[in-house]
Amino acid sequence: MTALAGRETRRYVRNPVFLAAVVFTALAVKSWHANAVQEIGTISPYPAIFLGGFGMIAAFWLTQSTRRSAEALDVAPTTPQARTAALCAVAIVPFVLGWLSFGMFVRIQPLDGIWRYGAFSSSDRMAVLVSQIVVPTLGGPLLGIALARWVRFPGTAIVAFLLLYGWVSLITILAWNHANSVLFVMLRFFAPFTFFTLTDGPDNVDTWRGSPWFFVGWQLGLCAVAVIVALLRGAGGRRQRRLIRVLVAAAAVTALMYALTVAGGWNHPVVSHLGQAPVPIGHSPHPTNR
Amino acid sequence: MAAVLLRAVPWPAVSGITAVALVTGAGGFAWPGGAQILLPIAFALLAGAAAFVLDEPASAVVDVTPTGRARRTAVRALALLVPLGAGTALVLAGALRAVKLPWPAVGLALAGSVLLGFAIACVARRYSGEPGTQASAAAAFVLIIPGFLPFVAQWVRPFPVTGPHPGGPSSTTFWSIAGCVCLAAIAASVPELRRRRSP
Repeated sequence: MTALAGRETRRYVRNPVFLAAVVFTALAVKSWHANAVQEIGTISPYPAIFLGGFGMIAAFWLTQSTRRSAEALDVAPTTPQARTAALCAVAIVPFVLGWLSFGMFVRIQPLDGIWRYGAFSSSDRMAVLVSQIVVPTLGGPLLGIALARWVRFPGTAIVAFLLLYGWVSLITILAWNHANSVLFVMLRFFAPFTFFTLTDGPDNVDTWRGSPWFFVGWQLGLCAVAVIVALLRGAGGRRQRRLIRVLVAAAAVTALMYALTVAGGWNHPVVSHLGQAPVPIGHSPHPTNR
Repeated sequence: MAAVLLRAVPWPAVSGITAVALVTGAGGFAWPGGAQILLPIAFALLAGAAAFVLDEPASAVVDVTPTGRARRTAVRALALLVPLGAGTALVLAGALRAVKLPWPAVGLALAGSVLLGFAIACVARRYSGEPGTQASAAAAFVLIIPGFLPFVAQWVRPFPVTGPHPGGPSSTTFWSIAGCVCLAAIAASVPELRRRRSP
């Protein structure tokens, strides 16, 4: 199993899409400078897009490449679940790179900094960064493996990547226009990535509703669901029944995390101005806020 | 002959991705401000659909038949009418709904995106019988990455912007140059055309 995981990891890190993802992430991280941004959401998503999104495509291709040799693999002494688990282990590489990016981000933009993080506590700021920089780098490749295990169409990964990107972008704009609507808060969190802050004018940062730490829980729940769904492929008998039970439990915990994410955090979106206490959006004396 | 060649086009892939693009693009008209976000993604999907047009699982056999690469490529290019038609329907729908976008430039971006996907597939077809997966990913990256990286967006603008121009070459300029490069790449990837040019 360890040897298999090592072999798959070597194949993964040599994949041109993954190498491109690492290069683009390095370029993006290099462009991070202290005081260069007014609000963290303008620069924090790059590792999620490259290591998570491109990493998903690379993991999808890696997993699909074993389809052509499926007949030979089926007579090998390893079970399909062991092979899938070995594939899932490759996600450790982008995950480690995600933590490195997180470290770089915190170095240039300390967690106890000023209003660039909106009206969050230091603990919540850390959760925001973990959810935007670190967890997507784990979840993306795991989603790619789960998709490849169940969907034969070779263009699935790129379609999934574009749809997820479109969904997150669209729902961010909609949530900005309907910051007080519970429906749009729910839609905003129904995604593997979300923004918690936004700036719409000089020297102010909007903080939206929702609990960052429970959102990390929701993301990790999605990762667990992806792994179990991938493992279900080719499982039979008792193992299949056990995996289905674990899947139901993981899905229930994930749903609970989602509900807590929506219910947690500020009761109303608030706006922070440099050196002032946050006020609910709509009550701000500054003309730039709605 | 053309009907036989067209039958070999991977229609489920081409029409499937085109349908997803159509739904995605149409979703952009449902909300104010959505078109600017979802139309570029729909165009990237259409470029991906165009990249699957040349996929040939039986390439080992087909490549040695008397029908030349140029003829096969020309006939299969007819399948581009599917993504182009879907994209045109989106552009017309947007223009009729009076969505504020520079629609002639958007139309050029649509044609350029589909041409880009096809050109990458043509080049990759020289090395692989089924270049669709890699070519669609490459086309989508070229179209989407400028949206992520500001220092790339300054020079590469695959989709026209609304509001004040941020500087650098416009989308129309970009596609005028990129379209010529794509046509040259398609011509260079067909052996018969290369031979005709050489003395």
